Amino acid sequence: MATSAPPAPSLAPLRGVQPLRPASGHSFFWHKLHSLSGIVPIGAFLIEHILSNAEALNGPLAYAQQVRLLNSLPLVRVLEWTLIFIPLAFHALYGAYIAIRGRATVNVYPWAGNWGYLTQRITGLVAFAYIVYHLWTQRFSGVSLPEHPGAAFAKVQHELANPWVLAVYIVAMIATTFHFSYGIWLFAAKWGIASGTHARKRFGGVCTVFGSALCILGLASLYAFVGNPKYANAPADAFAPPAIAQPAPVTPPQPMTTQ
Amino acid sequence: MATAPSTIHVEVLRQSTPDAAARTERFAIPYRPNMNITSLLGEIALNPVDVSGKATTPITYDSNCLEEICGSCAMLINGRARMACSTLVDALLKENPDQPIRLAPLSKFPVVRDLAVDRSVLFENLKAVKAWVPIDGTYDLGPGPRQFPQTQEARYPLSNCISCTICMEVCPQFNTATNFVGAATIAQARLFNMDPAGSVLKEDRLRALAGDGGIQECGFAQNCVEACPKQLPLAEAISATGREVLLQQLKDLFVR
Repeated sequence: MATSAPPAPSLAPLRGVQPLRPASGHSFFWHKLHSLSGIVPIGAFLIEHILSNAEALNGPLAYAQQVRLLNSLPLVRVLEWTLIFIPLAFHALYGAYIAIRGRATVNVYPWAGNWGYLTQRITGLVAFAYIVYHLWTQRFSGVSLPEHPGAAFAKVQHELANPWVLAVYIVAMIATTFHFSYGIWLFAAKWGIASGTHARKRFGGVCTVFGSALCILGLASLYAFVGNPKYANAPADAFAPPAIAQPAPVTPPQPMTTQ
Repeated sequence: MATAPSTIHVEVLRQSTPDAAARTERFAIPYRPNMNITSLLGEIALNPVDVSGKATTPITYDSNCLEEICGSCAMLINGRARMACSTLVDALLKENPDQPIRLAPLSKFPVVRDLAVDRSVLFENLKAVKAWVPIDGTYDLGPGPRQFPQTQEARYPLSNCISCTICMEVCPQFNTATNFVGAATIAQARLFNMDPAGSVLKEDRLRALAGDGGIQECGFAQNCVEACPKQLPLAEAISATGREVLLQQLKDLFVR
């Protein structure tokens, strides 16, 4: 009973989610740059940072020597800005942009991958907030560590003496190492490096072991500052000659640092 | 659940036009064993009277095959995206005893009426990635190239897609902020890229998937692969296609 021709396809724009827009925009590039920047240079720096901090386990002098070594790298300020600060700022800001555009659904679909998706965003934002705070307190305020590497251990120890700050550092250490190790897994999955179901599962095991090891090493370094009685009340300058009870040369606080 | 209930309570979120306000109607349906949501909606259609005895209209929803092969009847059942035909009432009652069964339209697509939604975005996306084998022409192209059994085996799971859009509904990235293309389209692009005759459009498909809303918006929550009623290897398809899209972009950057 064909009374009329079928209605012509509607040319009105679709409501709701819009179709794919081939060959438009640069979001592919920015997403891939965000993904890659999390591995190198930021992830590589995180490994270096946690390994360097582990020198604290060998005491204030060893820690001070590590800080001096890093600050003796050629063009260290240029390296610091181009390989750490600028990539980190991009990764953090673009990551926040990605996070606010997602719609978490774990209340309805409480599956492992979905929890991972949400946790990756939360740990990223936690790490972002922590790193801003950490950069201010340890790098851009107080004793400038690039100029006074000997003060590094005491400066960190003094900050961690506050139990609330210590709690923040512990939470941030767990969040950051999770974000990094799950990020490596996501990188391998989304770039098609580990694409098969079994390959992704195997690589997930590798990332779990790696992330746990990194986290434990970071937490152990925190212990060196606050829990090891041998290093309690570290000297204000680890390079100052020991024994003689003279106060370390007091230098007026100057901006600028790194470790 | 020691004894079977005599009635099944159903709550349906309805709206009569795309712009009308949604309202909930409640129904009490006599229990029969082995019902699915389709037969539940059929009972309401046979006797469209709500729980208070007020006459109403049968519930509109898309359906065709009634056996999970056409992909029409996806809806939110107790809040989760599932097929009305393959979701069993007894299983729902076991899951949530003494609770009404809640039916609602998919949340990420514009409602047409009641439980029927407009899923044109998937059709538009499939067109955008040229999810077909180009064989139309003015003369007989002859037999296609030979397809090895290994290729057929790899392609077969992807060919099971029924375009139900459940992978898109459950995806945290499929929303109006990202306009992400969704897993189904990526899987179909892969299916046709792996076809010896369809692969002639491979580069076009890979370039399309790098546009705004493309494969890069995937957050790898893997809800798609969990929720897919046809068990498509969607996470694997997205991962492998992600690699090919990236390599195509690099090739275009350095070679083209």
